[in-house]
Amino acid sequence: MKNVLKFALNFGIIAAIIGLALAVVFQITDPIIKLQDERALQEGLQNVFSGNYEFVKLKDPIQSLDSSVQILDTFLVKDKNSNSIEGGVLTVAVAGSQAPIKMLVGVKKDGTISGITILSIQETAGLGANADNPSYYVDKKNKITFLGQFKGKNVEKEKLIPKEDIIAITGATITSKAISTGAKVAGESFLQYLKEAHQ
Amino acid sequence: MKKLKIIWDAIIPNNPVLIISIGLCSVIAVSNSVKSALLMTFVFALVQIPSNVLISAMRKIIPNELRVPIFVSVIAAFTTIAALLSRAFFNPIYQVIKLYILLVVVNCIIIGRAEAFAYKNGIFDSLLDGIGNTIGYGLVLVTIAIGRELIGKGTLAGIQIMPESYQPMLLMILPPAGFIFVGILTGAIETYLKQKGGKK
Repeated sequence: MKNVLKFALNFGIIAAIIGLALAVVFQITDPIIKLQDERALQEGLQNVFSGNYEFVKLKDPIQSLDSSVQILDTFLVKDKNSNSIEGGVLTVAVAGSQAPIKMLVGVKKDGTISGITILSIQETAGLGANADNPSYYVDKKNKITFLGQFKGKNVEKEKLIPKEDIIAITGATITSKAISTGAKVAGESFLQYLKEAHQ
Repeated sequence: MKKLKIIWDAIIPNNPVLIISIGLCSVIAVSNSVKSALLMTFVFALVQIPSNVLISAMRKIIPNELRVPIFVSVIAAFTTIAALLSRAFFNPIYQVIKLYILLVVVNCIIIGRAEAFAYKNGIFDSLLDGIGNTIGYGLVLVTIAIGRELIGKGTLAGIQIMPESYQPMLLMILPPAGFIFVGILTGAIETYLKQKGGKK
């Protein structure tokens, strides 16, 4: 009995010291981390939907049409002058080859993809990681990156399947497929949402 | 001189990665880019050195039966601190190797040094041992990363070194190359130790 109390006290004191140290470091780093995330999000929004727009975050993200693609956040894109909805930006997570790939997908109201930006990716360096590499071109002649090729594609009219109408990344079938599926499902889900909102 | 030997021992004759062959997971996984290798070494130092010192300082009050949970708590705390710091200040690289940074908690080298060295030796010796092991680990990691990134991507820390026409060798980026490099380095170090031993 005496031993139990001694051990508990011993471990308790050490745990308390460790907890305190962690709290201090967290206090210092948390604002920096939050600021970085916020900045990355704002830059990403501007990147996928450039122009004079306002981004309004929906309280609840819209429903995803496919369970393999998670929609984490939805931003409605409004024209700053006319206040009409021009499209949407969706934060989606799709399973990559190692960890979920988080990205922003911008869709115009007619179903055209306005741009894709990756927020976090942990694919194999040199293979899947090339999805986010600004100097890796799938079309070397026209200098089009893997993400760049999605711009202007219509989610309703085109299949968005790697090796058919999407040029895949060499040696990264899973990554290419994950991003293409994410873009297509995000676009279709958003169009569905617009239709339902109109009714 | 005797103190210097503690550091030297951990770097060459008892190199944790090449001779004792522990902590290989992160070495293979992270060594395909120099930037990742440098961040990983930084995180490793931030965990290995203070945990060695703290465990050595507390060794008299740690009951023998409780030592493993206490080692793990101490190491986990320093890993979390290192992860928070690298997320705040090296975010782009952190995002790429996040998983392996968190896995430092169960890195065999760190818990091995806690059990085998810090728990039995003084604070200053443990500090030196921590520094030595960090150098031993980091040196191997960065050397392999330089080789793999140069051959596999034609770059060093993201800067293009090879001419544009160079066709990267994809194998070097993939995990097998990590094993190949570890094998080559182990061979080199073993040969060196054998020759040195032979002269005696």
